[in-house]
Amino acid sequence: MTLFHFFNCAILTFGPHAVYYSATPLSEYDTLGTSIKAAVVYLATALVKLVCLATFLKVSESDSFDPYQECLKALIGFIDVAGLYFALTQLTHRNISQNHKFQAVGLGWAFADSVLHRLAPLWVGARGLEFTWDYILQGLEANANLVLSISLAALGSLMWLRKNKPKTLIPIIYMCAGIVATMPSITSYLRRGLGWHLPKVVGFELFTSLVMAILSWQLFAACQRPSA
Amino acid sequence: MIMAPRIARERLLLVESMYSVIALLFLLVTCVELCDAASVVDVYRLIQYDMSGAPFGSRLASLNHHAGSLHFSPHTDLSRTVLVIPLRELNITFVKEYIVEKKPLGGILFLLPKMFSVENKGSMRTNHQDDGKERLKNVLAELEQILVHNNLPYPVYFAYEDDNIHDVLADIKKNDATGQPATATNGGYKFVVSAPEPKKVASPTITNIQGWLAGKKTDDDASQLPTIAIVASYDTFGAAPALSVGSDSNGSGVVALLEVARLFSLLYSNPKTRGHYNLLFGLTSGGPYNYNGTRKWLRSFDQRMRESIDYAICLNSIGSWEKDLWIHVSKPAENVYIKQIFEDFSSVAEELGFTVNLKHKKINISNPRVAWEHEQFSRLRVTAATLSELSTAPDLLERTGGLVDSRHFVNETAVVRSVKLIAESLARHIYRHQGKNIRVFADNSSLAVNPSYIRSWLNVLSQTPRVAPFLPKDDPFVAALKKELEDHTDQVDLQRDVLDGMFTFYDSTRAMLNVYQVASVTFDLLLLLVLGSYLILLFSFLVITTRGLDDLISLFRRPPSRKVKTA
Repeated sequence: MTLFHFFNCAILTFGPHAVYYSATPLSEYDTLGTSIKAAVVYLATALVKLVCLATFLKVSESDSFDPYQECLKALIGFIDVAGLYFALTQLTHRNISQNHKFQAVGLGWAFADSVLHRLAPLWVGARGLEFTWDYILQGLEANANLVLSISLAALGSLMWLRKNKPKTLIPIIYMCAGIVATMPSITSYLRRGLGWHLPKVVGFELFTSLVMAILSWQLFAACQRPSA
Repeated sequence: MIMAPRIARERLLLVESMYSVIALLFLLVTCVELCDAASVVDVYRLIQYDMSGAPFGSRLASLNHHAGSLHFSPHTDLSRTVLVIPLRELNITFVKEYIVEKKPLGGILFLLPKMFSVENKGSMRTNHQDDGKERLKNVLAELEQILVHNNLPYPVYFAYEDDNIHDVLADIKKNDATGQPATATNGGYKFVVSAPEPKKVASPTITNIQGWLAGKKTDDDASQLPTIAIVASYDTFGAAPALSVGSDSNGSGVVALLEVARLFSLLYSNPKTRGHYNLLFGLTSGGPYNYNGTRKWLRSFDQRMRESIDYAICLNSIGSWEKDLWIHVSKPAENVYIKQIFEDFSSVAEELGFTVNLKHKKINISNPRVAWEHEQFSRLRVTAATLSELSTAPDLLERTGGLVDSRHFVNETAVVRSVKLIAESLARHIYRHQGKNIRVFADNSSLAVNPSYIRSWLNVLSQTPRVAPFLPKDDPFVAALKKELEDHTDQVDLQRDVLDGMFTFYDSTRAMLNVYQVASVTFDLLLLLVLGSYLILLFSFLVITTRGLDDLISLFRRPPSRKVKTA
């Protein structure tokens, strides 16, 4: 089963990214370059994050939930947002619409995340003889992460790129962006602070990612209307 | 000019940090690989040996098969299945059928109850009379004989029961109850032991340990003092070499010998109480193989030395008797020396409240089988007797301290009483107190038998597997025995020799069993199907929704054409 199972898990983990790229107009406008650039930015951000984590965080022997450390971790997690900001605003893209830009950036971001965090464990673990649901759950988690990344990119592009948005929506946009950006800390709290098991955590992630996606879609559509 | 080295240093720093990241990655990978099995079980392999070229025991070590239980449906092919058989459910006729008729099997894993465990030393003899335990013991003894005397062309392992393996077994049984044997198509458990091909043990050595306690010479008598030898063989043989601790056979004999040596060393340390006999203590190896070590040891003596031995007492299995002991001799009871020995022992036994019986078994020089250790002495015309709880001579490789012979079934007080009997009757012979009711080693005196000494040595022996071919030359256990004898005797010698005869042994006696829970191929196919349809659905959904972002209304009008495109 070993290689077969690895293949299955890989499809679940990386398939949606490919499907997203080919099914949406991203492929028609050839935005692959943007995605790759976003992925490179993600890698750089991850390195910076790693250095920050190593510098400021104590190594905890126990797997318990320490609020102070977690706060610090959440703060460091906001480096992600900075990276995304850089990817959205500073990178010189070819002339593509904002719609496609944030999608391409979100997609590249999520794909780089999946490769960096999930490929190696998958390669080592899923090919082993032992069967566990972990890798399938991890694949689902990657799906949730894709949705969240694109939502965050969408919200980011609303915040930083769109000038004429309705004033009433601004606090909502910032709130949503804040929630999405702190999702890793929230799931970490659920897993370690409340002791949730992986299936439950993944279910929660899937659910919240869908909710956030619908929210940001609505916000995006609402901002789109006056300008259109 | 100043900037250049700084940049270089920074670059170096970056490279170093990259190295640490890579190192971290490797560490992670190894961690993941280490703990990917559901559970790892210590298993002990059935012995593999050749006797006169004929193969016996388990002939393979590596294992990679699905697990099955005894509840398999008849007429299933078990050639790729590891049967997990708990001793409690063992049906001996089934084993006979499978092993003796050489039906194909992928392998066998026997689960032994905890009470046979090497580590289990507490709670000994709690409800010893329990029928269940006696039954298990008998079943295991019978099983051991079957396994040892047959050729099994597949790996056979032993493991101790624990909660982990019980859960696995319960799952396997549930699977088997549905009527399907465990194969690749329906998942279940996979047992993997990765072990190299067993190799022959090159020239197995045996080590005999001898201790010498010199007697007091009278000034005018230049001739040699007579010698009394006390001998016990210390090595074992069993179905699983790594579990053959032989608490009774012959751990009890070794313990008794050490205690007797300790008692007489106290007496001999004082010139006033030093007897006119030399005492020779011999811990011999090779006991299960016709007392090969004893034979080598005796042959190494010179003629004068051998002739000076008045008599030899061999100790064999004296740890689990209740009422009577046996003295086995190979000369008729009418023989003067034999009569003397027997009278010494039986009179002391009477005072201690039990009986000693004499049993005569002629030796047949042409028969290579040596059932008792004293027969090796008798073959060289040295008077000797074996003190044992067994009334009849055991067969070859029987009662040699195998799986059954655990601490659980050895009675400390029996060993204490045996020591009293041996020490007291030796003392009567040495100090010529025959017929007088003098207790040299009376309780509560400074020369009393020390039960805690006996207990601690019995515990040590019950945790030390001692199958001679698998004991390395500088084995710490042999060194410990030597040191203990050194404490009690004047002079200790080690004699190393090659175990000769018809036996060849193979290594790899213990291993790690990885238990993997595996998914079936059908499950994987199903998963692939589900994932495929999920991706197709996702694709259609995305196409329907996002391409309409530009023109929502037209998108909701056009889905049919899109669907055709995706399909």
